[in-house]
Amino acid sequence: MVKFLKILPIATKTGTVTIKYPYQEPLVTESFRGAIEVDPAKCVGCGACTRICPPKALTLTLEGNTMILKYFVGRCIFCGMCADTCPEKAISVTKEFELATGNVFDLYTDIEHEVKTCSICGKSFISKKLGDKVASKVSDIPSETMDLCPDCRRKEALKRFIGALE
Amino acid sequence: MVSSESAMNDINNNETFMTPSTSLVRDIVLKIRSFKDRVFGVEQKDGIVRIKIHRDVLPNIVQMLATLKGIYLRTMMASDERDLEGVYRLYYVFGVDKEHTNIVLEASLPQEDPSISTIVDINRAVDWYELEAHDMLGIEFLNRELYRLVLPEDWPEKIYPLRKEYNISDLIKFYRPKAIEYAKEIGAENIVTIPIGPYHPALHEPEFFELYIRGEKVVDARYVGFMVHRGIEKLGEGMKYDQVPFLAERICGICGFVHSSSYCQAVENALNIDVPERALFIRSIILEIERIHSHLLWVGVALHLLGYDTGFMHSWRIREKVMILAELLTGSRKTYGINIVGGVRRDIDSDKISKALDVLKYVEKEFKQLVDISISVPQVNARLRGTGILPLGEAIALSLVGPTARGSGLDRDVRRDYPYAAYRYISFKVPTYSEGDNLARTLVRVDEVFESINMLYQLLDKVPPGSISVESWEPEPYKLGIGSVEAPRGEVIHVILTGSYSPYRWRVRAPTYQNLPAIPIMLRNADLADAPLTIASIDPCFSCTDRAIVVNIDRGSIKTIPIEILSLKGLKAIR
Amino acid sequence: MTSLHTSSNSAIKETMLKKALSRIKRSIWVFHLNTGSCNGCDIEVLDVLTPYFDVERFGIKLVASPRHADLALLTGPVTIKTLSKVYKALSAMPRPRFVLAIGSCAVGGNIWFESYSTIGGFPKALEIFSEMGLEIDGVMYVPGCPARPEAIIYGAATLLGLQKPKSKYRRLKA
Repeated sequence: MVKFLKILPIATKTGTVTIKYPYQEPLVTESFRGAIEVDPAKCVGCGACTRICPPKALTLTLEGNTMILKYFVGRCIFCGMCADTCPEKAISVTKEFELATGNVFDLYTDIEHEVKTCSICGKSFISKKLGDKVASKVSDIPSETMDLCPDCRRKEALKRFIGALE
Repeated sequence: MVSSESAMNDINNNETFMTPSTSLVRDIVLKIRSFKDRVFGVEQKDGIVRIKIHRDVLPNIVQMLATLKGIYLRTMMASDERDLEGVYRLYYVFGVDKEHTNIVLEASLPQEDPSISTIVDINRAVDWYELEAHDMLGIEFLNRELYRLVLPEDWPEKIYPLRKEYNISDLIKFYRPKAIEYAKEIGAENIVTIPIGPYHPALHEPEFFELYIRGEKVVDARYVGFMVHRGIEKLGEGMKYDQVPFLAERICGICGFVHSSSYCQAVENALNIDVPERALFIRSIILEIERIHSHLLWVGVALHLLGYDTGFMHSWRIREKVMILAELLTGSRKTYGINIVGGVRRDIDSDKISKALDVLKYVEKEFKQLVDISISVPQVNARLRGTGILPLGEAIALSLVGPTARGSGLDRDVRRDYPYAAYRYISFKVPTYSEGDNLARTLVRVDEVFESINMLYQLLDKVPPGSISVESWEPEPYKLGIGSVEAPRGEVIHVILTGSYSPYRWRVRAPTYQNLPAIPIMLRNADLADAPLTIASIDPCFSCTDRAIVVNIDRGSIKTIPIEILSLKGLKAIR
Repeated sequence: MTSLHTSSNSAIKETMLKKALSRIKRSIWVFHLNTGSCNGCDIEVLDVLTPYFDVERFGIKLVASPRHADLALLTGPVTIKTLSKVYKALSAMPRPRFVLAIGSCAVGGNIWFESYSTIGGFPKALEIFSEMGLEIDGVMYVPGCPARPEAIIYGAATLLGLQKPKSKYRRLKA
């Protein structure tokens, strides 16, 4: 009948387990995944992270003459797939979780990239960093071709092909 | 293993023949083939027997299956295959538990007349599947009443979200402005009843139960819900294979890993991907940890509903250590995000294993003390015993799953019946009780916690070395795969038809979907004060109500009140 | 504290808000509103009440009805079926009313921000409600999937003015 009173010694022995956050350190373990940090120096603007991000928190958009990598931490699900996918290892996962704010626009981080424009049609088609990196890897292709956007490159190749036939 | 290749050869030489390896399945296939020209092809591939049938003969076959024991309807998937073969196709998945085999009946419906006669009078479990197929794809089920289940009441006619001609951005244009208009109308009225929202630990979703009462007894209950419908199956068709596990994990926050494992298993089953053993062991370890924390949560919530708040706080105190362990092993307290098709993303080392063993010893000792004390509390014992009875016959007819079924004597468990991950390498018992009341369901869950701890000791001991995921894999289109996992609440099953870059059709069936129709049965002639605990005893993950509408038949009055108050005060709460 | 309506008498509103806040900030009554979430953040909200985190030491108490509450803990991406109910619940709260939007569903809509079945998070729902004439005196957004109990306590403390938010918009050059 009085077996249920046995809870009292258990409670007394356990004592207080409260972690008095924020006046005490939070219970974060070593493997915790918090917000990500993109290193602007290493990022080349390839967009691999934007293609794997499940909620599209990372997006690559063109605004006039700049290409912007936008990170919206409000929609981020803290999975870390972008860090696993980035070929330049520019994304690192921090342990930051104290992100609350009253203004939604404070949760955005933008990284600006300069763009390369096509020498024929003037369209911006790739970031300067990525364009230079690709050009350095295919050094046997002349730079006039590397300065063209994909559409113009195809037209020029066709013209050369037809010219070679004649 | 009995092979009847020669027997099948004799019967039919020029159709696709299969080699059924077990006796009950072979009998079933022979009986189905007796419908001669209405059966078009039979093929078997490890654990799945696919039989193409004509739609006219479906009721007869299901009638025949209903006479056999040990075969249950697991799920039904409707898919739009008009750009493949010009038809809509329905896949009825039946499970033969004892022989680890699924039988899939595939019925094609021509696109100009997508109708088929209903089988809800033969098999009651198929009710919601038919309504959902009607809502999402426009399949007509003849001879039954069809109403909106998943989509809102005033969703426009003739717009079926899962059909391939609509993509997500089109669908937003159809309904969002209307929803806003509807909200504006409601806001303008002078509303007296208080809407959803109150705090209730057992029930978190804004869904409704309507309880019809006479005196102090409940005579009937009706469920109105699906407020949480977010369009997951449609979104999954637009995402790549490796993004979908993250989507699947957020179907349910408490048992998310179960859904992502089940999806990965379905794709691996469809494409015959060989997952390394270390990954299978890691998946099983995390699944059992999830089971422990989910059951501890449930025990706390049930004790709170009975008025024993001390038990609630102690149970959640014990549970916190399990959450911290999960964060140490995977990187997040819930929605772990470590599953990908072909393996896992995070490894465990010996340091983490030793920390895990410490936590398990702590949980085992403390939980045993807590349960002994709680069951001996007089009010807890009296209110759990003999309330919310669910007879075994009803459990079989509705094909219930999980602890709800095992508390009534129906012995089904996916870990034993359709072994997956690392469960074939360890030994475990499946606790079953036969009384069918709330106490039986509670004890099933308590025993399962101790079983899980035993399983974890075995798993942590036997983790084999090796890599944690396959190097690479190639997607092939239009292959069928089934993946199922035992969640803390019951059986989760995912059926997938692969595509070239993303799933062509993905069907998710959570256990509470299967268990909810049992609630009106359990509530008939129950006391009003027992209703909240009975509803919570199926451990609803997908619906529940913060408020219940109580309809007093004798007096003709309708009141909305928080369900927690019902539990404490019964009828007095609404006088 | 951000006030959402910049009108000509916004300065007066700010002071009234500060006064109201100083009166209630030691004992805020909250109520929990689920608009179609997966329950992950809701369980973390409940976790905040359990012995390890114990938010009641700040004087925060959970109540059953919006009519008694000052702060709504909102989770979920506001599905279309719940839109009208959320509006009713929020308008039943007496002024000053605050909202703590918890989790990545409520802040940005999570993976289903463009699904046919959700509005896409609390900021979009707030635009709709403002058109309908509902005024919310303060909102705080707490990202996370699910939001940790410590993050929820941090969000509540920032809303009450106990500390300044750390997140700021940054624009960096590559």
